[in-house]
Amino acid sequence: MTGQWWTDDDQLAAALGAALRPVPERFVDAGRAAFAWRDIDAELAALTYDSAADRLVGAGTRAGSAPSRELTFAAGDVTIDVEITNEAVLGQVVPPEPGEVRVTPATGTATAAEIDEVGCFVIRPVPAGTFRLDCRTGSGRRVVTGWLRA
Amino acid sequence: MRDDPSVVALVVRARSGDKSAWDEIVERYAPLVWSICHRHRLASADVDDVGQSVWLRLVEQLTALREPAALPGWIATTASRECVRVLRNTQRQGRLETSIDPESAGENVIVEQELLADERHTALRRAFVQLPDRCRQLLSLLVSDPPAPYTEISAKLHMPIGSIGPNRARCLDRLRTSPALAALIDVEQAGGVA
Repeated sequence: MTGQWWTDDDQLAAALGAALRPVPERFVDAGRAAFAWRDIDAELAALTYDSAADRLVGAGTRAGSAPSRELTFAAGDVTIDVEITNEAVLGQVVPPEPGEVRVTPATGTATAAEIDEVGCFVIRPVPAGTFRLDCRTGSGRRVVTGWLRA
Repeated sequence: MRDDPSVVALVVRARSGDKSAWDEIVERYAPLVWSICHRHRLASADVDDVGQSVWLRLVEQLTALREPAALPGWIATTASRECVRVLRNTQRQGRLETSIDPESAGENVIVEQELLADERHTALRRAFVQLPDRCRQLLSLLVSDPPAPYTEISAKLHMPIGSIGPNRARCLDRLRTSPALAALIDVEQAGGVA
């Protein structure tokens, strides 16, 4: 039983030091706050396509040439196509129906944008941090995308 | 421990809407997520991002989690995948040169190592709070980063410098033999974990 981390005083002390190292309170607080997202009353649209995941690792993209990112979310027969450029988040709800889209950040207040007759919306500027899109159509349907980061 | 019955109970309570159980889950596993982020050398804003993603996902997956006992593994794997995603995004923007592969053996090794370290840290924290006050005060000062000099410890705890060393050894031994840590040591010895 030699050479184990608990038999040697210095190793045990080092392990204790690591165990007692505090995690910042704001990091833990953000986790506690996430519980508010339980059981939201809407259909959840899952991510079905993400061009960022598609691009091969190490394919040689460089600063300045970063192309826009495309994502698709789907819930039943509703699809939400999203394109994130440097300036804005462009989206289209299919089948098209006018309504409202709310940009809901994980923490902080939501902002809203209009969904036009062809189902298109523009969110400017691109939200910082983690957010989701909460789409409400004129016919009363509500679809919420999974969480994303620009 | 990975089949910790208290974890299962917490998941079951959180599922039924118990916010205090959720808070306990977050407090219990935040150090694991934090540590995995630092293993990936993420920038501070990215660490917050990953943390948030892990908890938001867990809230959504809480009812779908088939094996509540597998929660630590789920958290570690999700955190590692999120870290890779953030790093990839950085790479996509041309700010990082190295390649990252979320399915690589390296990621699995990190997850396993961090889960093991997390079990040890949890047992150490449990053992530590069981120690007498004097031992906790002394060890806190000794293992702080940077460690407090003996002169400072002596002044703070009214302890002769010459007895700091022997007291350290005594307190570490109490830690080692406390039930919380002894149980883990038994498991590691039986499992032959290096």
